[in-house]
Amino acid sequence: MIVGLYTMLTKKNLIKVIIGLSLFETGIHLLLVVVGYIQGATAPIFSKTTGSSAEMVDPTPQALVLTAIVIGVAILALALSLAIRLHEHYGTLNLRKIRELKW
Amino acid sequence: MRIVISCALLIILSLGLVFALEQAPLGSNHIDKKDKPGRYYLDQGMEKTGAANVVTSVVVTYRGFDTLGEVTILFIAAIGLGAVLYSRKKEKRDQKEKPSASLILQTGCRFLFPLIVLFGTYVFIHGHLSPGGGFQGGVIIASAFLLLFLGCKEKKIPMKSMNAVESLAGIIFVGIGLAGLYWGGSFLENFLPRGMPHMLLSGGVIPIIYIAIGFKVGAELAGIVAGLIERNP
Amino acid sequence: MVAVLLIVVPLGLAFAMPLFNFVSKHIAGYIPIAAMLCNLILSILLLPSVMENPQIVVLGGLSPPLGIHLVAGPLGVGLSGLISLVGLAVSIYAWGYIKQGAQDKYHALYLLLLSGATGAVLTGDLFNLFVFYEILCISSYALVAYLGDRNGVESAVKYLIQGSVGSGLILVGIAILYGMFGTLNMAQIAIHIKDVDSPAIFLALVFLVTGFGVEAAVFPLNAWLPDAHSTAPSSISAILSGIAIKVGIYAVARVLFTIFGVAVVFQYVLLLGLVTLLVGEICAFSQDNIKRMLAYSSVGQVGLIVFAICIATPDGVGAGLFQLVSHALSKAVLFLGVGYLVACSGSMSLSSLNGIGKRMPVVCFACVVAAFSLVGLPPFAGFAGKFLIIRAALAGKGIFFTVLIGIVLLATVVEGAYFFRMVQTLYFKDAKKQIEFKKTPASASIPILALVVLIVALGVYPDVLLPYLKSAAADLLNKAGYIKEVLG
Repeated sequence: MIVGLYTMLTKKNLIKVIIGLSLFETGIHLLLVVVGYIQGATAPIFSKTTGSSAEMVDPTPQALVLTAIVIGVAILALALSLAIRLHEHYGTLNLRKIRELKW
Repeated sequence: MRIVISCALLIILSLGLVFALEQAPLGSNHIDKKDKPGRYYLDQGMEKTGAANVVTSVVVTYRGFDTLGEVTILFIAAIGLGAVLYSRKKEKRDQKEKPSASLILQTGCRFLFPLIVLFGTYVFIHGHLSPGGGFQGGVIIASAFLLLFLGCKEKKIPMKSMNAVESLAGIIFVGIGLAGLYWGGSFLENFLPRGMPHMLLSGGVIPIIYIAIGFKVGAELAGIVAGLIERNP
Repeated sequence: MVAVLLIVVPLGLAFAMPLFNFVSKHIAGYIPIAAMLCNLILSILLLPSVMENPQIVVLGGLSPPLGIHLVAGPLGVGLSGLISLVGLAVSIYAWGYIKQGAQDKYHALYLLLLSGATGAVLTGDLFNLFVFYEILCISSYALVAYLGDRNGVESAVKYLIQGSVGSGLILVGIAILYGMFGTLNMAQIAIHIKDVDSPAIFLALVFLVTGFGVEAAVFPLNAWLPDAHSTAPSSISAILSGIAIKVGIYAVARVLFTIFGVAVVFQYVLLLGLVTLLVGEICAFSQDNIKRMLAYSSVGQVGLIVFAICIATPDGVGAGLFQLVSHALSKAVLFLGVGYLVACSGSMSLSSLNGIGKRMPVVCFACVVAAFSLVGLPPFAGFAGKFLIIRAALAGKGIFFTVLIGIVLLATVVEGAYFFRMVQTLYFKDAKKQIEFKKTPASASIPILALVVLIVALGVYPDVLLPYLKSAAADLLNKAGYIKEVLG
């Protein structure tokens, strides 16, 4: 997550910033999954080989992460389409040069 | 200068995070009390909803409203992409003559495409029995379309019918929710009979919703990819 | 049960929008109008019955705290009424204003933005709040870039990146809270917060407030706002300034009051609100681009509303909510009117609007009324709002509050300066060049005039709204009452 934030803050190319955003979000998703972890427990799916429900991991963070991943994908798709449009207008993706809107 | 300030900010942020997470009881059994939702989902999940995969029952039934929101967000992404990329310069597209792929690649793509679609369909139909579900299956199907776009450039993909499928699947999801309101008493309630666990037709409305989500996500992501590669007819 | 329809009807209609587009290309403009009319009627019908007892709507068949539920209380239903009112006015305006680009996609995105906003104010679950807040944010990213011009796309990219980082921080806050308490229900977290006394809670609060504050545009998270609100199409600027910011403020307030309720945090956020107010007004004063000036004025007003809400007394919160309503109405009128002024004169610079008051009297009159309301002159709604805020702040003890009131009055003076400059430009300066006079279509003047009538009515009879505000403020402040309503 911190690596993603660092990339977003320091890189000049918009695509690298978007990749940084993706790294940042992946880190957060991993954090969410880890929150649900219970030591020694197994995946929350009933089948012939798993035991009782007492030894299963918390299913709620996994559901939350599903939603969060989809939200991240949607943001990424929109960001990439905006990058395409930006490149059409400015000819470059260097963020230092795309600064028409000033004070 | 910029790097120095960023590093300072990030060090403060990471210290804060580490400190906060140290206090949170990670790894311990934090859902042992009876009133916690997690314990309820695990204990009662299979009998109440009939789905063997507890995460699926959480996603579709217990937190179904979040899933509706998530499906909406993907829909927004697809529409937003269409709106932003509308009427791009058409002349630029025709100028670049991309070389067509070799015969091995084209044949391989055409051969793999139905297999990947089949795998994706398997994943989302069995969402309530094994790991997987509507979103995962939909993404696999969309990647099959991506393969087709990259490998066989001459094949025409009917984008209009993709939009229709996407829209229809969304309406089916909302419709099932409203049907739950009418027949069950609350929105998105599971009103169909549960069936036997571990069977394909168990879980009430869960497989139906997941199939709708699978189609929707597949069509949407294929549309997004097509929009980005400029293949809208 | 009706409360679910408030969210589901716009969502379902938006999903069906591509199918409607197959039938006929012109039908897309009517659908948001129909949906918002339906929402407005439902909210008005629902409001009297929820004043005393908030309705808890259960979703998915599980009573709280196990499932997700909607809390249709006075604050939620009142805000959704405001959203549908402003949404209806702007959608009528947009029917005539949006003529280029993929119009059906515009209307679908617009409807989804409003349904996200309605869902966010009605929900009682923390992650659900996040999901609907994201629906709101992502549709606004796409809508800001709708016109596809250089400035629009650039500001949309900046807005997107800042907004996504904010959302990530909200998720971190939710992760910490879930790790400590094992539940996502806001009422249940509110109960258990008293049991745990560790600084990690404070950190979770910081993450959540920062994340939601990006959309609410408190200082220093408001760098995206002047760009985004000034380069979006005018109907979108109206909705963003009118509704989207307010949902951000609501989310911050809900997190602060209902979940945390720690007294010392209010003072910090109060100071942040004041700093935002000063920064917004001073920056607005030095602008030449009229839409950028209005955007900075929105930043300032957000600061004022946050300041009022963080006084944390029922009078203070009620005053903040009144100011929220009056600002939503006035800013919507201003952006909608300025949209046509800019379309006529062709440029957004203030000096190009010289003397346009004589050519377009209706629109300019509406803009002047809204501007006076924002500054706080009687007999408009803004006067009542500011009066209530200052009276609530005076009730607080000590020199501290008097100094704060002095700063609020100073900011009002600055605001008056730039709005009077705008009025002067519109009416009293001579036109430099011949401006083509395009007649304002009825689809634009009717909603603008309707909102102006509401502003005047609220200004003359503020007591109509006060009982609703009192129950809404009680809803926000009364943490024990909220928990009892939800969990029984």
